[in-house]
Amino acid sequence: MNASSDRDLIVLARRGDAGAFGELVTRYQVNVFNVCYRILHERGEAEDLAQEVFIRAYNRIHTFDIEREFGPWIRRVAANLCLNHLESQKVTTEINDEQDADPAQLPEAVQEVRERSEQIHQAMSSLPAHYRVIIELRHYQELTYDEIAVELNIPLSDVKSHLFRARKILAEKLHAPDR
Amino acid sequence: MHLTDEQLNEYLDEATNERAQIEAHLSSCDECAARLSTLQNVFAELDSLPEVALTRNLAAPFTPRPSLPAQLPKFLTLTVTLQAAVALTAIIIAAPFIAQLIPVLELSSLSSVFIQLQTQWASWLDTLSQFQMPTLPTIPFELSSIYLMSAVVGVFMLWLVGNGLLLRNQIK
Ligand SMILES: [Zn+2]
Repeated sequence: MNASSDRDLIVLARRGDAGAFGELVTRYQVNVFNVCYRILHERGEAEDLAQEVFIRAYNRIHTFDIEREFGPWIRRVAANLCLNHLESQKVTTEINDEQDADPAQLPEAVQEVRERSEQIHQAMSSLPAHYRVIIELRHYQELTYDEIAVELNIPLSDVKSHLFRARKILAEKLHAPDR
Repeated sequence: MHLTDEQLNEYLDEATNERAQIEAHLSSCDECAARLSTLQNVFAELDSLPEVALTRNLAAPFTPRPSLPAQLPKFLTLTVTLQAAVALTAIIIAAPFIAQLIPVLELSSLSSVFIQLQTQWASWLDTLSQFQMPTLPTIPFELSSIYLMSAVVGVFMLWLVGNGLLLRNQIK
């Protein structure tokens, strides 16, 4: 039982074993949360959405194709759910002052890394929702242009133009002399 | 002619079939090489983003109810035993009637045993059917007892098979 495959756990979950699904959640929750965090850039909201992803996945576990890999699937589900969430909100959660630990107490090196990722998050959160999701799918989930087009149900030409434009914006934001 | 943004992006995404031409141009053009390196920086920045830790356990809503798994098998075995006993009784009751209903098969040795059993059961059933007789006086009692028993046996068998299938799925 200590090293059940994802597949075994899905089979058990389908028979109503919530604990088996809980084990899957334990395996992928950080992954899924980070997908949501990279798209939403707000920790609490990202955790809520990640929870929602797993609840939905559990309710639809019977529709999951057992031959597919669970990890990539759940991360794509997460990206899509975040996109829907952002689009339903319509209010761009522009640059949340996300400062959860007070930086003065941290060592300088850690502070620098933290500040830089802060800047990256801020740059990304300035992008339109569908740009963020395309960045997520290409850079973090490593989908091809075609796979992204299928996943988001948009033309290949849009995938490319959105992705390239998103990178251009990020380059401008991140490499501008002092943001 | 400089490289387009599209060419540079596709080059870094490894989604181009003009790799050789692009590389040839990059090696001879500082301007495009600089544009490529700017783009590469974005890739590196995105890669550098660290994973963030959760502040709560998302698996919490999916914990198994602890009492249920221990109780369920016991309950199931009890049901199985009960059903087996009932089914056995049903078969014993049914056997003489089946033998009587299909004498064509001529299971001489077996049927003699069955007939012996049958007479015993028939006498018991006589009392049973006499008990029910007053309400249905017009129907010949021997026929009615056979039909009654066949119906009872049929229901028992259906019950056994149906529940057996259901339980087998759960145990598996
Ligand atoms: Zn050039």
